[in-house]
Amino acid sequence: MPQIFQRGANLVPLKILLVLGAFATGAMGAVWYYFTPKYTKIGYQPSQPIPFSHKLHAGQIGIDCRFCHSFAETAAHSNLPSSQVCMSCHSQVQKDNPKLEPLRQAWASGKGVPWVQIHKTPDHVYFNHSVHLNRGVSCVTCHGRVDQMDVVYQAKSLTMEFCLDCHRNPETQLRPLDKVAQLGWTAPTDPLELASLVGKQLGSKTGELNLKPGDKVSPANAQKIMGEHFRDLRGVHPPDSNCAGCHR
Amino acid sequence: MSKRVFEHPQEEVNGPQYWRSFGQLAQTPEFKEWQAREFQTGASELNPEVGRRGFMKYMAASAALAGLSLSACRREEKTLVPFAQSVEWSVPGKPIFYATSRPHRRGAIPLVATTHDGRPTKVDGNPGHPTNKGATDTQSQASLLDVYDPDRSRRFQLAGKESSEAEFTKWLAGALEKAGDGQGVAFLTEHFTSPTYARLKKAVAAKLPKAMWVTYEPLGGSEASDAHAAAFGADFRTVPQLDKADVILSLDCDFVGFDEGRLEGIRAFSARRKPEQKMNRLYVVENRYTTTGGMADHRLRSQAGKIGAVARAFAEKIAAATGDAGLQSVVDSFPKVSSPEKSAKWIDEATKDLVAQKGKALVLVGYRQPAAVQALGHAMNAALGAIGETVIGRKTHGHGGGNSLKELAVALGLENAEQKKARVEKLTAENAVRKSKHEPELPIAAHGDSSIKTLFILGGNPAYNAPAELKFGELLAGTDVVRHGSYEDETTYSVETDKDGKVTKRIFVKWHVPAAHYLEAWGDGTASDGSHVSQQPMILPLFGGWSEIQLLDFILTGKKSEGLELVQETFKEVARGIDAVSWAKFLHDGFLPAAAPREPIAFNPVTAKEIAAKYVAPAEGMEVVFAPCAKVDDGRFSNNAWIQELPDPITKITWDNAAIISPATAQKLGLGAKKEDGLFDFENGAWLAIEANGAQLEIPVAIIPGTADDSITIAVGYGRTHEGRVGGREGNYMSHGGLFAVKGQVGFNVYPLRTAANHYFATASVKKSNRAAYQLAVTQEHGALEGRGPDVLRQGTKELFDRVPDFAKFVEGMDEYAEERDKQKYPVSRSAYTHPTLNDANHQWGMAIDLSMCTGCSACMIACQSENNIPVVGKEQVIEGRELHWIRMDRYFTSYQSEVRDDENSDKLTTDDFNSREKRIDINEARMVMQPMPCQHCENAPCETVCPVNATVHSDDGINVMAYNRCIGTRYCANNCPFKVRRFNFFDFNERQKDKYFRQNLINEKGMAETLKLSKNPNVTVRMRGVMEKCTFCVQRVQEAKIAAKVKAKDSSNVKVPTDAFKVACQQVCPSEAIVFGNLNDPDSAIVKVKKSERDYRVFDYLGIKPRVSYLARVTNPNPNMPDAPKHVPTQGNDNNDGQREKWKKQQLANAEGGKH
Repeated sequence: MPQIFQRGANLVPLKILLVLGAFATGAMGAVWYYFTPKYTKIGYQPSQPIPFSHKLHAGQIGIDCRFCHSFAETAAHSNLPSSQVCMSCHSQVQKDNPKLEPLRQAWASGKGVPWVQIHKTPDHVYFNHSVHLNRGVSCVTCHGRVDQMDVVYQAKSLTMEFCLDCHRNPETQLRPLDKVAQLGWTAPTDPLELASLVGKQLGSKTGELNLKPGDKVSPANAQKIMGEHFRDLRGVHPPDSNCAGCHR
Repeated sequence: MSKRVFEHPQEEVNGPQYWRSFGQLAQTPEFKEWQAREFQTGASELNPEVGRRGFMKYMAASAALAGLSLSACRREEKTLVPFAQSVEWSVPGKPIFYATSRPHRRGAIPLVATTHDGRPTKVDGNPGHPTNKGATDTQSQASLLDVYDPDRSRRFQLAGKESSEAEFTKWLAGALEKAGDGQGVAFLTEHFTSPTYARLKKAVAAKLPKAMWVTYEPLGGSEASDAHAAAFGADFRTVPQLDKADVILSLDCDFVGFDEGRLEGIRAFSARRKPEQKMNRLYVVENRYTTTGGMADHRLRSQAGKIGAVARAFAEKIAAATGDAGLQSVVDSFPKVSSPEKSAKWIDEATKDLVAQKGKALVLVGYRQPAAVQALGHAMNAALGAIGETVIGRKTHGHGGGNSLKELAVALGLENAEQKKARVEKLTAENAVRKSKHEPELPIAAHGDSSIKTLFILGGNPAYNAPAELKFGELLAGTDVVRHGSYEDETTYSVETDKDGKVTKRIFVKWHVPAAHYLEAWGDGTASDGSHVSQQPMILPLFGGWSEIQLLDFILTGKKSEGLELVQETFKEVARGIDAVSWAKFLHDGFLPAAAPREPIAFNPVTAKEIAAKYVAPAEGMEVVFAPCAKVDDGRFSNNAWIQELPDPITKITWDNAAIISPATAQKLGLGAKKEDGLFDFENGAWLAIEANGAQLEIPVAIIPGTADDSITIAVGYGRTHEGRVGGREGNYMSHGGLFAVKGQVGFNVYPLRTAANHYFATASVKKSNRAAYQLAVTQEHGALEGRGPDVLRQGTKELFDRVPDFAKFVEGMDEYAEERDKQKYPVSRSAYTHPTLNDANHQWGMAIDLSMCTGCSACMIACQSENNIPVVGKEQVIEGRELHWIRMDRYFTSYQSEVRDDENSDKLTTDDFNSREKRIDINEARMVMQPMPCQHCENAPCETVCPVNATVHSDDGINVMAYNRCIGTRYCANNCPFKVRRFNFFDFNERQKDKYFRQNLINEKGMAETLKLSKNPNVTVRMRGVMEKCTFCVQRVQEAKIAAKVKAKDSSNVKVPTDAFKVACQQVCPSEAIVFGNLNDPDSAIVKVKKSERDYRVFDYLGIKPRVSYLARVTNPNPNMPDAPKHVPTQGNDNNDGQREKWKKQQLANAEGGKH
């Protein structure tokens, strides 16, 4: 009687194991990546009741973020503009645009426009807009280039890790206070400009900026030099190990 | 489960003893368990209803179900809806503060309400107002919860059927048309202080001139106003100036607890309790412990009915000493009553002290005492030169008056026995005639015919709390009653039940009109200093309620007003004109100062004599005292869960009232006895059957030291039969595990024993009732600390303080104990744990609590509950030790050797008995001391090192913080906390109703009422099941202040929070300013100054844990000549240990130098 299993069958269990292992690794990898906030949150782009374009308003027309989000510098929440703010222009401009119908209805009925929330921290996180803006953290740090988005989506993961990266190294994000709402602004890479921004002379002595005119400064390095300056100037020391800074 | 027990120093045999309960004295196994464990066994285990095994099963099931639904994979779409039109002042996420006031029968309480997004979330005192300067009381704090109470009446009801506002207004207009000149119309109101209310009342009275007006307050008898009228004239009342008084005698006057002008009073009084300045001295005579009695330097127990005799004895001696003719004449006309002989020396010495301080002495008589006794008090003040000095006059500001409730009852058909007999006979005869003629017989009503056709009841709950003999609830049947109230309660409808207690019939009044809460309506009021205060609505009426002034105005004009224009109209009169600026200023400040805050008054002995002559001494024997409740007031707060769960300041009972008796009386009644070993065996919760004024009540007892013998005190306001889910509701809505005597009813109603004549105390016959013991939820043993009482709570006398100011710094046998341990290689003031870095150079937070000033009123506990979203757990859970209050108000009783009296009234001890522990502790004469215990925020926090997940850690600014979302609920931290201040969420107390904690379905139905969600502070996480929590030093306020400083700093590095820029919730509410919180790194801050006090000490310092909360030792100011003066210093901080003290001081210095962080 011939053998039921050929010699090659000895390898079958091994192959099965290998395949299963590959599957398992794949599954783990998939969970590893796809179940993270990076995947689940970044790119979240719900459709809004009105196809409002930030690219048009903030980018092309150049309206300051704080014209509509008017309390971002004074309160914990950055408010959405009331219909009244929208209507201050749109009672004149695009008066009959059908896309603005929900706005006109809201204005007439007194019930606000139900915008879909995009950026959200968990309930146990107490994020405060005003303290970040007033200490030189730009909108772009957490919200990305909203001025280039036709439809706003979540650009950063807004996880605890994301917050802590900056809380531990605030110099990576600090900028002049008058530039916080200029989303496209970056630290100047020209040594002279950079030196005048941080109020130092170029040179190699202590207290001077160790660069020469015409040196090539990488954007990251420029940000670091500028950020360190503002960190020391403002005594920025965000809560990094103090849970109560964000959790109450 | 056993734990390694740290060996605390042994209690000194001869020293003072501090004890929380008889259980502690007897060291019962129950007490030992409370002391040894962080939570009671029962608390740590699941209730038998769901055993551990069952729990695992349900956990598995719910996990499986959670896997099935992939709910977590999709983000829920949430919308953000901005305003259509921007609202003035509204900044999302920023609170808005409004000045307002809470109406109160003895003067509106000026408040500032915090609103978040248009909903009030916290009330606090108006810091600008001179009466309370930012402080509030328990009830004002808790009144916030009433706004959101889902049980408040929500609808207009016509004879029990839902109706509408339109229907009601239509009916009312018709009824008023028929009313004509008001014949047959009656109004029953509460005592009010609102000028608008008074103005409208006057106008309505002019429109309906024949209408009857009645004002009724169950706790506001006419005695005080009668006595004032007799002594000073009808327009005046007296206000004590407690800051000016050096010696105060209180005869049953609870001026720091509950009586007139208390917020003003506590502050003025406690300002003089600091031993660094000239201290006042307080003598108290009372029948039960009140917070005033707890503050007393000398206290005499006396039946409430004997206060008259004590007052006369005082008056006689003061008259003799001062030679004051006026007082003498009043004393002479006051009937001779047997003066209590036992207390002769006490009265003698106290009198000497009062007379010696003439002009700076003050006598206060409780305002529920008979008018004659109060008149005697006024006469004594006149003789002591107090008038104009320690007592000033003010115009009466209440608007009461009119007819009495009895007159109304008669008009409604109340008859005496003869009248009833005559009527019944007449009707029976007529029926006999009718029967012979085969005509239908006439029904024989329970009471006579009513001459009132329409009765308006504005607020109050007379069917529940009117004097028993009026049977007021029954009288309402024959009349069209328009009942305006916050709850559909006993006045709105009465029930008939069958033998099993099942409701067979509900009888409703004609109309029930829902009342608006004071935070929902425009109004005004008069504060106790006579200033005109505003009352602004924070939110539209949640349940469509009307305010009183809206109702009165409707009667007047036939239109519903907003209320605003009515208040403005009054303001025009009060302020003599109105413009936009003055009105805006009034709303902003919240008040218009009183034109004349003091009136000249003169004592009139002639009229006072007359009223004094009317005194009738009560019969000898057992008395029952109907005491106002420090929590539910007259019952109006009984549906407030914060109030119900607050342990009573004295008895520590939650969710109930009880008959308070003294240990001696308990022994007499056979409710407990001394055991052979000399310890005490008392049975709290045993039943008493009390008969007084012809009515009976069965009620469990609470045996409280310091109560007068033969005196039973029962708080009014409990045993509501239908109000709401918390306070009591007919039927069986709330199970509470069968813990209440009557299902669905909280506490026991004592009003049926109370008559108009005997509304404060009555003679009673009492016997033990043989029912099985009732389970009271008493928290007195919860959180019992290891370690010695005299270390935890350090106190001394003024005499000792003057001699050894830092007596509290060094407690013999305690602080050198640490040294002793050092020899055994235990580090002193250093810790086994790593010290946190604390690298915030600008801010280090700390707190100090002055035990000399703390009265134990417990307002801080409610303020904390309101600020920090602390849920209520229910009676059953309190019994298990699962209550969640972040502040524990520890009440200790203490006896010390001084209690041994050598005068004739000592029936107990001689000096030889000192060494016997039993005899040293006189349980009847025990002193009461209070100690609030929040988280101590130890720098070397034992809780932090044992947390396996780093959920509790130290912040840079020195706060021991909790990250709730990290906590996995091991409870190791609570186990390791020497102060037992950590609380654990055993259930979803925030999400479920009190009878559904044990629902076995773990994917549970969520039960919190929508309205209650609105009451939460949005800046504090609402905790869920399985999470540890505790005092956070109001970290949300700390963070807000730091953020505000940073926002202001902009480009500069000046991020320091301005000096004392904010207060924490308990500090803000404290009426006696006993709590100070602030930045230890700010040399100008109040906390730094307070902590420099010589009295400053830290509890359990010898553990090396460095608590950030310190206490200022309690200093009393006893009179050495008094029979109950301490003969032995009541603390171990004695003066013979100078050598040790110096050594210890050096050690401390060395530690401070070397061990800095």
